[in-house]
This record gives sequence, structure tokens and C-alpha cells, in this order.
Amino acid sequence: MKTIRVCCDTGCLASGSMKVAEEFERLSAGSGVRVECHVKRTGCNGFCEKGPLVTILPDDISYYQVKPSDVPEILEKTIGKGEAVERLLYRNDKGERVLRQQDNPFYAPQLKIALRNVGRIDPENVDDYLEEGGYQALKKALGMTPGEILDEMDVSGLRGRGGAGFPTGRKWRTAAGYDVFPKYVVCNGDEGDPGAFMDRSILEGDPHSVIEGMAICALAIGAEEGFLYIRDEYSLAVENFRAAIRVAEERGFIGDSVMGSGKKLHLSVVRGGGAFVCGESTALMQSIEGKVGEPRAKYIRSVQRGLWDHPTVLNNVETFANVPYIIMHGAAGYAAIGTEGSKGTKVFTLVGKVRRTGLVEVPMGVTLRQLIYDIGGGVQNGRPFKAVQTGGPSGGCIPESMMDLPVDFDTLKEYGAMMGSGGMIVMDDRSCMVEVARYYVDFLCGESCGKCTPCREGLKQMLAILEDICHGRGTMEDLDLLESLGETMKDSSLCALGQSAPNPVLTTLKYFRNEYEAHILEHRCPAGVCKELTSFYVDPDKCRGCSACVRACPVGAASGEPRSPHKIDPDKCISCGSCREACRFDAVLTKGKAVRKMKAGAGENSSGNGARDAAPGDGGFERGTAAVSNERGTAAGNENSTESGNGIGKAGFDAAMAEGRDGK
Amino acid sequence: MIIKINGIPCECEKGEFILQIARRNGIDIPTLCHHDAFAGQGSCRLCIVELVAGGRSRIVVSCVYPVDRECEIFTENERVRRQRGMILRLLEARAPESTEIRALCDKYGAPRFERFVRVDGEKCVMCGLCVKACAELSVGAISTVNRGVTKEIATPYHEPSSVCIGCGSCAHVCPTGAIEMSETRDSRRIWGKTFRLVRCSRCGAVIGTEEELAMAAERAGQEQDGLCNTCRQERIAEVFAQSYGV
Amino acid sequence: MPVSKEDIDGILKHYPREQRYSLAIMQDLQRRYNYIPREGMEALSEYLGCPLSNLYSMATFYKALSLKPKGRHIIKLCDGTACHIRGAVPLLDGLRRLLEIGEGETTEDGLFSLELVNCLGSCALAPAMVVDEAYYGNMTLEKLPGILEQYRKEASGS
Repeated sequence: MKTIRVCCDTGCLASGSMKVAEEFERLSAGSGVRVECHVKRTGCNGFCEKGPLVTILPDDISYYQVKPSDVPEILEKTIGKGEAVERLLYRNDKGERVLRQQDNPFYAPQLKIALRNVGRIDPENVDDYLEEGGYQALKKALGMTPGEILDEMDVSGLRGRGGAGFPTGRKWRTAAGYDVFPKYVVCNGDEGDPGAFMDRSILEGDPHSVIEGMAICALAIGAEEGFLYIRDEYSLAVENFRAAIRVAEERGFIGDSVMGSGKKLHLSVVRGGGAFVCGESTALMQSIEGKVGEPRAKYIRSVQRGLWDHPTVLNNVETFANVPYIIMHGAAGYAAIGTEGSKGTKVFTLVGKVRRTGLVEVPMGVTLRQLIYDIGGGVQNGRPFKAVQTGGPSGGCIPESMMDLPVDFDTLKEYGAMMGSGGMIVMDDRSCMVEVARYYVDFLCGESCGKCTPCREGLKQMLAILEDICHGRGTMEDLDLLESLGETMKDSSLCALGQSAPNPVLTTLKYFRNEYEAHILEHRCPAGVCKELTSFYVDPDKCRGCSACVRACPVGAASGEPRSPHKIDPDKCISCGSCREACRFDAVLTKGKAVRKMKAGAGENSSGNGARDAAPGDGGFERGTAAVSNERGTAAGNENSTESGNGIGKAGFDAAMAEGRDGK
Repeated sequence: MIIKINGIPCECEKGEFILQIARRNGIDIPTLCHHDAFAGQGSCRLCIVELVAGGRSRIVVSCVYPVDRECEIFTENERVRRQRGMILRLLEARAPESTEIRALCDKYGAPRFERFVRVDGEKCVMCGLCVKACAELSVGAISTVNRGVTKEIATPYHEPSSVCIGCGSCAHVCPTGAIEMSETRDSRRIWGKTFRLVRCSRCGAVIGTEEELAMAAERAGQEQDGLCNTCRQERIAEVFAQSYGV
Repeated sequence: MPVSKEDIDGILKHYPREQRYSLAIMQDLQRRYNYIPREGMEALSEYLGCPLSNLYSMATFYKALSLKPKGRHIIKLCDGTACHIRGAVPLLDGLRRLLEIGEGETTEDGLFSLELVNCLGSCALAPAMVVDEAYYGNMTLEKLPGILEQYRKEASGS
């Protein structure tokens, strides 16, 4: 009996895995082959980029990027004769085809605990989970006293995987110590960091492990009710989880009598409303209570007074998924993995400009280099590495020189970044660090709850300054101001969102100051990202005349005869960079846009939106201090109407800057 | 329990808020969003102080920070002054029209940042006191709308509210006079809605809007007498005088 | 979909009259109509006995909720970090040009709404775009016109 696993998580589904699964089912019907194409919605075994992924057991052959048309061949060769279909195997760095997952460099260094079942079991089938030892940990926990469970958690050294890294055992013990009932157990599945999807994979691929983890927590603290707050965008996760709770209740794993113990535990799913700030525990609890998700200003811990002012333990998805493993296999074994201060494993999403993209789980303490180069295979297309962004909007950008730092809760923090929930976004020389900082601040401007002054107003001012720098309107004094703003936001903001909001700005200022300086002093974006400062041209020596740029250009600015050097018309070019991405010969290069010494009314420069819209005869040009240009931009009105206002300010300021510098 | 604020020993109870203790001891800490009747906002962050306890030092917000152990507090050191100055200038950029903020900037010597983008014509600092006051009166006519940098205070759909009683509590608690309320002899206009004013039947002083009095009557379960507080007391005194010949 | 009182009441009755269900009810209304009609907000205010202002505050706070009607197809362009550095911005510009609307807007014919959304968790396929429930990974400007055309054809065919 052979088993075919077809990965059907969101990522693989997007690549068409459902059709592959259906094809397997259709063609294998009656052939005596047990087709397990209900291994759906898992973390795609992590290697989402190469999906749809198919694994044949017990041969342990993994196929990548399988199309429905490949199905008959797989059935005939692999199922029928036990032979591999060479072309669907993964080709390793040496160019050899590898059969098994473990031989794939993406998987070889991994150690799966939180993801132990993800990609292996059918999340909709609880028997699959039971076969893997599911609910045995809960059974074991029922034979333990709450104190014994808490001791195990302490010994394991497990720390909260959401990013803050608070010791889980200590949190549970505090909640257990209060004689106030009811108590609640809450799972935070509001994964909001851009570039992170580890919780989604667990929720979709192995919901019962989270249920089991929550149930063990409930036993330890004495809770009878629990909630899972899941991001509304994760529709599959919501669906799978609701189904899993229903089944767990039907089978008596939870419900009115947890595995026949007479203890109660009822769980329900709460769909998030779409607010990043609800990842903050008190805001999340407000949201569960049916209120606006604003964090609480009071200095009271939610383990003491959380949901409806009752003792509440809140942990994230990955944390709960670790719990059954710890109880089942013993805390000491778990604690042997990882580093002194950070025990166990951590799940990361390796995304961005990295060769092998996906979801990985490794022991704490591996270095960034091991993650990005050994597992991820280095930077895409062989381009130079510039930075890795960790910890989402609360984290920072880490440069090449720090690649040998171990990844754990404490090390990266010392350097102004943080491990965070586990998103790792690799950036190459075509990523502008000023623009990345601007991106995160812009993200947070929309995601801050808006309650406290430093976060709401500080972010707004930071964004204005960063936008100016990206447009070539910044000054060196701006950099000091960004740092001062950062200090105040860090110290005085109400919640962790505001307190960590300056991190992307502060780390890029610290490690990539030269890029800020290039924007400010040379009006140049070294990465060629900031449109207002970048123009594209073709190097005739490198151009082979393949016309890829012509096809990619959305505005018809690229042109040329086949097999002769092409050209980019600067008057038509919108600096989107599509031509550079499309070119396989590195023939599309960037240079700064000429910043002309503009006097009032000299709005003829055709190289930028702003300048083009500049109204002639505006006296404001001459003043050209940062504050003036800035106030002018805002005064011109909101949103769309600021276009020309900003443009005037920009042109005027550029001119003033150019002159000022020349004068010195 | 004794804590030290700026080196001065201050007696306090465990769980008391730093702001309370400081004010009782005559130590000045500026606030905007704090109101004794609606405490616990913690949104303006103007009342930050530095707390040193157990060898650790950090910035805390004095209006909501309960003292739980012996500690030293600084309300005027370099760090507090620097950050408070920044917060004040952020507030000033947010609400350039507010004379209160400008006065605070002067009083606490906030450094100027010409660079900041200013919101023209704005007075509101989004402290949220008005919303809290309205909710505490069980009216709930206004709320915060949107989030992040676009957050504002408004009525639902930015239309005149059907439940607003025109009591003006929101305007009274506003620390920066940002809520527009205008009155003629017979009417009051607030949040885009006009209310008829009721005057005391004896002295003619304004005692509230029709809606406000109707709500009070409903809550008290009896008809109102149409008198202002002063006249009501006078009348009771008169009744006493007549009955007992006092 | 026309808004009817019976329909709205039907959604409300699924839930007990408690504040904790306000977000869930609003999400159900959103799902039914693609936005929350004012009638729904008012009925909910009455049903839960809570001020309309509270609900309005929530409806404008949570991004999953909208008070404005949306188009037949909702295009969600992911601007998570991975998508951002792999070219979400030129795609957004492209969609703006092709649809002649900005983010958060709906085309005049009511066919498309354009939204720029936070990370959809499909970073491995960055840049990603979702139309209704259908995912489009490794998006490029070249692919855009064809995808839009497919929905336009469907609409004119039906």
C-alpha cells in the first residue's frame, strides 16, 4: 500500500495543487492505490515556492512543482514500478537530483517539533493526528497535578513564540496562583507581521496540536473556557479550526468532560477584525470582548486581570503547538535543544530575495548565515546580500557583518533588532533601506490604534520625514530628529507596538546610514528603488537585444530592434523598474535623476511627477527650508490634492539644497 | 509606605497612582487627558516620569502607574524633560490652534522642531475625554472613528446624532476647547445639532436643553420642577421657613 | 444584494444579545453584503442595546469591515514586506492605471474594488494578488491585463 501526499496549503493551492490532488484521485480510483490526497492545507512541507509538492510513501520520494499532466507518469512509474520520475525531483546545489526530503538542502538542517505533523497529516482527519500520538500528552497531563504540569513547563524553558519571549511556565504559574474564577486560556492566532506565516501553517495543517496545548494549559491553570483569535484573512485556518474543535468535542477530547475526567473545557474561534494592533494581548482581549482593539493603558498584567477582568493566559499558536511535545517527550529533552536562554526550536519564514523560500524549523541558536545560506541557498539570482529583516515592524534590518550571530530571543535584541515571531525577509542590493524603513512606518501609521500621542503623532512625523528623504528632500538634521523621535516613542508609547515602532528606522539608520546620506547629500537612491531619484538606462555593451524589457515595460518606454541594443525613453519612463527585473543580462542600469538648479518657475524638468506638476512662478521656491516645504505640502490639502503641493515643495527644496551645498 | 519624588519623601498607600501622590504633595506634573472624574485614560502621555526601582530605571505614565513598592521618582530630570518636550511639540503640531498646548510648550521649555507637519486649524489632541464623558452619562453619541494617524472623534456617519442630548459635557471636559459649542438666548448648537434651552422659571438662568432635562426626568422617574439648583434650594428654604417659622 | 430587514434579523438571531458577539455579527453582515449597510448597523445597535457610536467606532477601526459598498470582484494586492520588495508597488501603479481607480475605490461599472492589503502569508509566491478567493502568485505587470480581462469577459458573458 502506497500513500501519496499532496500538499494543499494556501501556498500550494495557489500553485494549483487541488487539481493535482483531484487528478490523483480520479486516475487511481480502483487501481488499488491508497491515495491520501487529503493531506491538505499543510505548511506545504515548508517549501511553498516549489509547490505543488507531492510525496510518495513508503518510498519517501518527493516531487516538486507537479502538474496534473505529470500524474499518469507518477502513477505508472513510481506507484507501479517503484521508479522515480527524474525531472520532478529536486536538484541540489551540485546539480544532482535528490529523492528524499532529507537529502534536500532545504530540509536537511531542520528539526521539526512545532511543525512535527504539519505536512504529514490530514488536518481534517483526527485519526491521522491520533496515529501520530495525538492527545496522548493530554491524557498524560490528566494524570498529573497542575503543579507537576507547571514544573514541566518551567524545566522545558519554553518561551512565548509570539516575539516577546516571556517564559511560558512562569506565565501559567502566575495565572494558576489566582483564586478568581472563571479563568481563560487564549490563543493568539492574529499573525500580523508582514512576511510571517508560521502560525497560519500550524493552524491550517495541525489544528489539534494547538487544541491539545490549550487543553493542557487549561488543566494547569484551572480554566474551563478558551478562545482562539484567528486573523480574518486566514479563512482556511478558521474553517479547519472550527471543524477540529467540533471533532475534538464529539470525540470527548475536550468539552463537558475532557477525556472522561469530568473536567470541562470549551473552546471557540473568534475571527479577528483585521487590525495588526490586536496582536498586542490587551488589545486582542478587547477585541474578543466585542470592542475596539485598543491596548489597555493600565499597568496590570492580563494573567491577573485579562478577559473580562479575569485571570487569562494568552500564548501564541506556535507556543501551544510545542506544549504536547514537551509533556509527551519530557521537558528535559526539550531543554537540551537550543541555547542557554532560548530552549527548543523556532519556526521561521524565509522569504524575500532568497533562493529557497518557505517555512523552516530549526533549533534556537543557529546563525543567520546557516538559515539564509545553508537552508535558503543564499540570495536569489546570485545578487549581493544586503540585509535581513527580522521581527516585522517591531524588528530591524541586520547587515552582512552580523550574519554569524546566533538567532535567539536575546542576541538580536542587543543589536536593536529582534527575532520576533519569526519572519525573515532577505534583501539584496536592489532593496532600498530608506524605503524599507518608510514602508514599515507607513504600515504602522495605518495599523497603530491611534490612542497615544507618541505612537500616533510620532509615526506621522517620521513618515513625513522619511518620504521627504526618499524624494530627495531630506536634510542631515532629519536623521537626528528621527533618532530623537525614536527615543520618545520607545520610552513613552502606551503599548509594544508604539514602543518598538521606531526599530526599523533606528536599525537602518545605524547599519545603513550611508544610504540615507546618499539620498540626502547626493540625491541618489543606491538601490534604484526611490522613483524620484532614479532613472533607468540600457548599457549597450551588455544588452543582447532580447526585448524582455520591451515586454515588461507597462508604458512603452523601452524600445529597440531585436538583437541590437535597446533604449529607454526617459520622457516616458515612470521608473517602475520592471525592465531591470526582466533583464537577464544586467544591462538595465540606474543613475540619479539630474537635480537641476531650479529657480522659481523653472518647472520644465520632465523627470519627476512632482516637478512636472510644479506651478510656475511660485515664490515659495526661494525659501526652501525643510519646514517650509513641508508645511506647504500639507497645506495644499489632503491625499490627491497634495500632489502639486508636494511637487512644488520638492522642486524648490531640491533647488535650495543643491545651491546650499554648492555654496559651502 | 514612603516613596521619594524628586528627592522629597512622600507618604502614600500601596496602589496609589504616582500623579495622585505628587499632586497631594504639591509637585507639579502636567496632564491633558487626566480628569478626576474620568481617570485612567493614559493617552496623552504628557505626565511621564522616570521611575527608579530595584536598580532599574524606566519612563512610566504617572496617571495610571500604581506604586507597588519603594521607589524613586523624577518628574523634572533631563530624560523626562527631553521626552516631554518632544511629546508637547508633537501635540502642538497636531493641534496648532490650541493656546493651551502652546502655553504648556512655553512653560516646560519644549524645544522647537520647525520640521514637523502641522494640522491646520486643529485643536483636538485625541485625548478621548469627551468620548469617555459621553459614555459615562450613558449617552454614547460620539466615539473615536478610524484608527492610526487618521483617528478622530465624531458622531456616527458624521451626521447629527439622534441620541445626543446637547448637555455639553464633552465640551466641558475637553482640555483644549476643541469641541465647538455655541449658544444664543434660546438655543445651543453642538455636533451639528441645535437644541432648545430651558431656563429656570424663577431666575431665568439656563438649566439645560429640553432633551437633557427629559432624560434627567426619565432617570429620576419624576417630573422636573423647572428650577435651577440655586432657586430650588431657596424654595426649599422658603417652605421650611413657612412651615416652621424659622 | 438587496438589503432586507428579514435578512438582517436572520443574521442577528444567530447570536445571543451580548456585546462580545458584535464583531462576529458585523463580519457576518459584511460577508452577506460585501459591506455593512446602515440598516444593519442600526438594527444591531437596537439588538444589542448598545450605542450606534460604539459600533461605528468598531466598523471604522477594523479593516475587515467596510461601510461602503464594494465591487463584484475584490482585488487584494498584497503589500507584505516580501511582496513589497519583490515589486508590489509597480503592480499597484499598474492596477491603478488599468482600472482607473485608486486603492480603496471601486470601478464605475461596479466590477472591481481595489485593495492594498497586509501580508496574506503567501510570501513564497511574492508578489501575490488575490481576486475574491483566487490566488495569483509571482505576479508581474505583464500578467495583469489578462487576469482582469478574464473577469470582464465573465461579467459580460453572464
